[in-house]
Amino acid sequence: MQNESIIDPKIIEEILKFSKNVIEAPKFVSAPDEINLEVTPHKVVQQIDKTRLLYYKPITKIKHKTPLLISYALINRFHILDIHPEKSWIRNLLEQGFEVYLLDWGIPTSMDKYLDFDDYVNGYLDSSVEYIKNKSSIEKISLQGYCTGATIATAYTALHPENIKNYIATAPVIDVWKDTTVISNLAKHMDVDKMVDTIGNMPPEFMYYCFSVLKPFEQGIEKYIKFFKNIDDKKYVDNFLRVEKWLGDTPPIPGELFKQWIKDIYQKNTLIQNKMHVGGELIDLKKIDMPIFTQVAIGDHLVSPECSMPLHYAVGSNDKTLKIYPTGHVGMIASSFSQKKVLPEMGEWLAKRS
Amino acid sequence: MQSKSSKNLAESPKDMTEYYKHLSLFWTDIIHLMSSKPQALTSIGPMRAFAANSKKIAVELIEINENLLGFNQYISEYYKQLSSTWEVAQKKVNLKAPEIPQDVEQIEAMKRIWIDIFDNDFTELFDSKQFGENYGNLVSKELELTKHWNNITNVIYNQLISLAKKKLMKCIKKFIH
Repeated sequence: MQNESIIDPKIIEEILKFSKNVIEAPKFVSAPDEINLEVTPHKVVQQIDKTRLLYYKPITKIKHKTPLLISYALINRFHILDIHPEKSWIRNLLEQGFEVYLLDWGIPTSMDKYLDFDDYVNGYLDSSVEYIKNKSSIEKISLQGYCTGATIATAYTALHPENIKNYIATAPVIDVWKDTTVISNLAKHMDVDKMVDTIGNMPPEFMYYCFSVLKPFEQGIEKYIKFFKNIDDKKYVDNFLRVEKWLGDTPPIPGELFKQWIKDIYQKNTLIQNKMHVGGELIDLKKIDMPIFTQVAIGDHLVSPECSMPLHYAVGSNDKTLKIYPTGHVGMIASSFSQKKVLPEMGEWLAKRS
Repeated sequence: MQSKSSKNLAESPKDMTEYYKHLSLFWTDIIHLMSSKPQALTSIGPMRAFAANSKKIAVELIEINENLLGFNQYISEYYKQLSSTWEVAQKKVNLKAPEIPQDVEQIEAMKRIWIDIFDNDFTELFDSKQFGENYGNLVSKELELTKHWNNITNVIYNQLISLAKKKLMKCIKKFIH
C-alpha cells in the first residue's frame, strides 16, 4: 500500500498520557474550594459598610516611615496580591520594610445599589487615608492603585493631593478611547441606564462574559490543556488553581458606580480630558503633583498599555517615572517576574521617597 | 346626614382644614367608586382582584411577545456572527496546515496555529462595531424581557402575600378564639 501514512507512536503515547492525567487529576490536585488564598497575616483595623481596611503585620523591621495603602480593583477580589507565599505582592513589600495597608472593597449586595464614585473616592478611600494618617501621626501617605482601583486612586489623588506623598499607578484605566481591548467596544454600545434600572448591581455573570471574549481560545481551551498536561508538576498546578479560584470570585459592582464608570470613563472618556466630576468636584489630573510611578504591561489584554500610559503625561508632577514591563495584567503583580523585577524597582523608587 | 366637619365649619381655621380635607376625600372616594362600576361588570363577585391582576399579566405578556421579535432578531444575528467567524477561521487554519499532523511536533504546531488564528479572528469580531451594536441591542432587549417578567412575578407575589396574610390572620383568629 503506497499512500499509507504512518502515525508516530509518540502521538498515541501523548493521547494516552493526557487521558490518564485527566482521569487521575482529582487524586493529585486540591479542589479550588480547598485552597486558602490569603497567605500573609493581617488584621482588620477599620470596617465601613462592606469595606475593610486591612493592616498587614510586619515581617521585618519597618525601614520606611511613610506607610503604603493599596487600592485594589473593583473586579475580582484582592487575593491576587497575596495569592502565594512566593508570589505575594504584599509579602514582598513587607520584606522590603514597608508598612502595608490594603482597602478591601468587600462584596456589595442589593442594598449597595446606589453607591457611586463619590462614596468610593471621598467616602471609603478617604476614610482609610485619614485612619492611616491618624494612626501613624503623619500628614501624608503613599498610595498605590491597581487596575480599576488605580482609577479610583487617581481620582482621589487629584482631589486630595495634600494627603498623598507618593502615588503608584499599576495598570490604571485612564484613556479608554485609546484602549485596544474589546471591553471598550462592548462598553461603547451598552445601554447602562437600562441595565442598572432593571437589574441593579452589575452581576458577576456579566463580568464573566466580558472575560470570555478576551483571548477566548487561549484562555478557554489551551490553558486547560496545559493544566492537564502538567498535572504532575505540583508547583504549576498549585499556581494554576490559585489563579483560577481568584478568577472565579468576582463580586457584583454597585449599580450607580457601574453606571458612572461606563458613561464617564468608557463612553465619554471624561477622566483624561479633565472633565470628570466626583462629588461635585472636577478632577484635574494636573493637580497630581507629587512623585508618581506608573507601571504598565505590554501584554496586558485587560487594560492595554495605550489606555494606561497617558496618565504619565497628564499629571502635573515633575518627579514622574513610567515603567513598561514585558508581561501581562496579572503577571505584573503575581508572578516570578513581578517578584524579581517589578517589585524591586518599585520598592527602590518608593524607598527613596518614603 | 351632615358630617361633623361641615357642621362646625365656621368655628376655626383648623376646622377649615379639616373640612377641605374631608371634601377632597369625599370626591376622591365617590369618583373611584363610580369609575370602578363598569370594571366590576367584567369580573364576577369575589374574583375581582384576580381579574384585575390577570389583566395586568396579560398586558405584560403581550409586550413580552412584541419584545421577543426583536430579541430573536438580535440573537440570531449574534450566533450568525459567531458561526461565520468560526467558518472563516477554520478555512484559514486548513489553508495554513493542510496536512494531517504526523508527529507530536506537528500536532503542537497545528494547535498553535489553530489557537492563534481563532483568537485573532474572534478578537477582531468582538472589537467590531457590528458586533458591539448588535450585542448592545441584544442585551437591551433581554433587559426589557426581564423587566416584563419582573412585573409579572410582582403581581403574582403580591397576590400570594395577600393570600398568606389571610391565611395567617385566619390562624391567629382561630388561636385567639
